[in-house]
Parts: sequence; C-alpha cells; structure tokens
Amino acid sequence: MTKPCIPLGLVFSRSGPYAMMAREMEKSALMAVDEVNASGEFDFAFVPRLRDPGGVVAAYHSACDDLIREEQVEHIVGCYTSASRKQVIPIVERTERLLWHPARYEGFESSDNVIYVGAAPNHTVVPLVRHMLDHIASDVFCAGSNYVWTWETNRVLREIVTSAGGRILAERLLELGETAVDHIVKEIIDRRPAAVFNTLVGESSYAFMRALHVASSRAGLSIPMLSCSLCEPELRLIGPEASVGCITSSAYFESFESTENGAFVARWKARHGTDGNPCVDSQSTYVCVMLLARAIRRAGSTDVAAVRRAAANYRYDSPQGPVWVDPANNHCFLTPRLARSVPGGQFKIFWEADAPERPDPYLSNLDLASFAKPDMDADTATKRANHLRVVK
Amino acid sequence: MTRPSPFSVRGRRALMIVRDEREISTVRRQLDRLGMSVIEADPSQLPLQPQLPQDCIDVIVLDADSIPIKSNCALSWKINVPIIALIGTETPSRLKWLLDLHPASFLVKPLRSAGLYTALVVAFDRAQRRIEDAAHIEKLEDRIRSRRIVVAAVLQLIRAHALSEEDAFALIRQTAMRYRTTIEQLSAEIVAIGGMPNRTSRTA
Repeated sequence: MTKPCIPLGLVFSRSGPYAMMAREMEKSALMAVDEVNASGEFDFAFVPRLRDPGGVVAAYHSACDDLIREEQVEHIVGCYTSASRKQVIPIVERTERLLWHPARYEGFESSDNVIYVGAAPNHTVVPLVRHMLDHIASDVFCAGSNYVWTWETNRVLREIVTSAGGRILAERLLELGETAVDHIVKEIIDRRPAAVFNTLVGESSYAFMRALHVASSRAGLSIPMLSCSLCEPELRLIGPEASVGCITSSAYFESFESTENGAFVARWKARHGTDGNPCVDSQSTYVCVMLLARAIRRAGSTDVAAVRRAAANYRYDSPQGPVWVDPANNHCFLTPRLARSVPGGQFKIFWEADAPERPDPYLSNLDLASFAKPDMDADTATKRANHLRVVK
Repeated sequence: MTRPSPFSVRGRRALMIVRDEREISTVRRQLDRLGMSVIEADPSQLPLQPQLPQDCIDVIVLDADSIPIKSNCALSWKINVPIIALIGTETPSRLKWLLDLHPASFLVKPLRSAGLYTALVVAFDRAQRRIEDAAHIEKLEDRIRSRRIVVAAVLQLIRAHALSEEDAFALIRQTAMRYRTTIEQLSAEIVAIGGMPNRTSRTA
C-alpha cells in the first residue's frame, strides 16, 4: 500500500554565494525525507518540492509564493541567511504556512509562522564569550564580515566583555566575499592581542585564517581564535594547518559521541560518501524535517496550527541530542557545546551544557552582572551592570 | 507665522531610499494617493549628497536594512529633513544605528497601505516641533548668556541707589515692563550708561 503524499517545500540556494552550505543542507533534508518515507513509523510520505533562489534575496519571496500557490505546500524547510528569512516571513504569515528554519542566527525575531531550529544567540555567542573570559583573555580583537550577524554578535560580545572589565581592542570589518585580509592580519601581528574573535564568513574567513596562520608562525606567535560559525566542511577548505586550533561554539559537531549521532554520521557517509562531513547546518536541516514529520504524525494532520501545537515541547532525540520546540517563542531547546578544531578536519568537544538550554532569542535572561570578575571593583561592576541592563 | 498642519501632506516631497521592489511599489502607490511627489534613490549608490538639495525634500523614507551599519554614508543623513525608518531587523545593533539618525517615525516591514499616512503625519509634526523647540531653546540660551549682564545691572542699582538685591531686580523688571522691553535689554542699557535710562517714549 502506498502512503499518502505530503508536498514539502525545500528552499535552498544551490547556486550563488553560499551554494556550498545550502547544497549540504538540501542533501540532508532529502536524506531525512527518504528516511521518513521508508520508515514504518510514519503513515505518510513527503514529496520534496525543490526551489533554488540562487542566493538572490528577492527570489526567496517568489520561490515560496510559487511553492504555496502551485505546489500547495503547507510547510517549507529552508533559508540560510537572515535576509532570505525576512523575505519569506511575510508570505508564510499571510498565508498561514510554517517555515522550518535550520540555521543559527542573531536573534531578535519570533514569528508564529517560523520554527527556529537553529541556535539562538544564548546558545552560541554567550557560552563562547564566557569561556574566553574565564580561560583566555578579557581583551579581544574582532574581525568580521560587514553584515547583521557580525554587528549583532559583536554587540553582544562588547556588552559582556565590558561588563567583565575587558576591552574590545578593535573591530575590523570586511565586505562579504572580500579576501584582501592582509591589513587586518598585519594589525593583529603588530598589536598581539590576547584573543581574536572571528565572525568573518565564507571565503573571507578562509583567507583570513590562512593568512593569520602564516603570519603568526613567522612571528612565532600563537594567538587564540574564537568563532561561533566555523564547521567541518570549512576546515577542509581552509587547509590542514591553518584550520587547527580555533575555539568554536556550536550546538552540533560531527564528533559528538552518542548512539543517535554515530548512526546518523554512518548513514550520512553511506549516502554521500566518506569524503564529505555532516555539519551543524546540514544536521539541523535534517532535524527540521524530522521534527516536522513527528509533529504531523502527532497532530494527525498537516494543518499548521495543529502541527505547531503538536511540535511544542515534543522531545526528539536527534543526532545533536534532545531537541524540542519552546512554544513561548518557537525556537528550540538545544545543548550548547564548545570545541577546538583539530587535525583531520574535525572538532574536539571540550565543554557542553548540562542539559538543553531554553532558547532566548531576545537575550532577555542574559545577566551581565554574572560576568563581572570577582576581583573587579564592586562599584564599577555594579555601575557597569546597571548601565548595561538597558540593552538586555 | 501659521503653523503648517501635519495632516495636509499634499504637495510635499519625499525622498525614498528603499531596496525591495515590493516595498518601493507600496510606498510609491500610497504617496501618490496622498498627492505627494517622490524622488527615488538607490541605497547601494549612497552617499548621494551632491544630487540632494535639502530644500527640495520634506521627508525621507529610509529602509533601515538597506545601509550597512558600519558605513560612513549613515553620517550624511544627519540632516534636518525628518526620516521615516522602515524596520525589518530589530537587533539592538541596528536599532542603535537607527537612533543615531533621530528618526521622526517608523514603520515595520512588510509595508501595507495602512500606516504610511500616520508615519508621515507624525514625522511632519515631529519636524515642526523640533523647529519650535530649537527656537525656544535658543531663546532660553540667550537669556542664560545675558544673566551676567542682568547681575551687573542689579549690582549697579544696588550701589547707586542703596537698594536691596530684591528691590533692584524688581525695579528693573517693572521698568522693563513699562518700557515694553526685556529685562536683558534694559540691563544692557543700564550697564552701558551706568544707570537707569531716562526714557520719555516707549520702545518697540
């Protein structure tokens, strides 16, 4: 007996500036679709409807409009950048559809028609900065791409670092895709900061890490680097030496040891070959499809309101560990982890939260006073904390 | 001078700096209905200061997401024309950038036909109040600046007529009222001639 079919929109830019990552995400979505369809646990099958907006922001709206009108999809998995998600939100809100969004992002959004499966800022930047302050340095040099992710991540970094009595030594930005990094590398070598916070993305980041590695080696320096976006496929692109040693914050690393992840990685490699690696964004895309399938099964319907209700607080033991949707803001409970990139294109996890953390997209629960160093002058700490509370 | 009504928007001119085609067509259509004219500018072509004579524009409709936060062109918008900000991203880093532009009002994207008129009225009203407030503040600052003169005049009268400070000031105030001039103006005259001027005619 064939199972009834449910059309599922998949919107990923297989072409364009971030095609590499979007292709990885689409691959994982299709893998999840095939697993759902082959499984006896689900009495329905997804029929994927693929759209490629080519990385053009305006094309996301028409791709989703087309999926909703022509393909009658009620659920869409996709988008990688915030700019593309902002294009899709008006249409899913107007037509009462659900967008399942896999990528981590900078927060400060909460649509009833989006399920945010990627990490919120309290899952990524906050634990990374806490680690930096506790174990590395309180003065930091920032290098980033000139767009919303860097602006907001650096703002949070600045709030936390200054409330701990530290300093942002510099904030140097490059346009997206820019690979002329020598002036920033030179400044870092000249100033020898205690840590570098890297929010560059794509080719800019790869060029920066390679150039800084060469320059640091020549100068006999070893400056710790921190990132909340670096992932396994990128380590390969950066190269075997320059990619090593970056302290990275993420809710998923391929090396995470668990029964579910072991099986997931094995299935992923069997399907896609042993050359590639699953990473946080592709794994999260897989989780999107699985959360959706489970919610449809629980709701007994694809109806958006019913699925949203069914997804709320419904725990799924995913490759990255237990994940569930917080109905208060439609973001997910996830377990933050910190790892160091090691030879072989992998990360070695050295810290994880005790339990999945409640998503805090507006950082409303961020207590800046908790970052104040004990040896800090008490008055200064209180003054700073009070002053900074405004932006919470 | 009659205060221009913020409710009458017909004939006013808007500069629209918006990237998204759908938002552009919503703004254009609605401004057209209201009888306003529109000049369009491409946010990626900023700064456009040379082509922007400030006196031809009554309001700027600015897509806040279309200009990078860390760019110098933001500075060129610190002009006296009221700005209506179109907001998509609500991150504090973006909002901080926006606050520095002193927006007169704002709309949240995606735009609808409703809302723009309110944003315009609020923007025009804020702009008018800003002008009035600036004039008021200037007047107050003038008065603060001339306090030294008033004090000097009071001291002059205390010495010349053996008055108390209170009586000297009361005398200046009453005389200023009689002459229909300001306390500051009269004080300047007292200091200049070394005593109370003896006027027969009223000054304007």
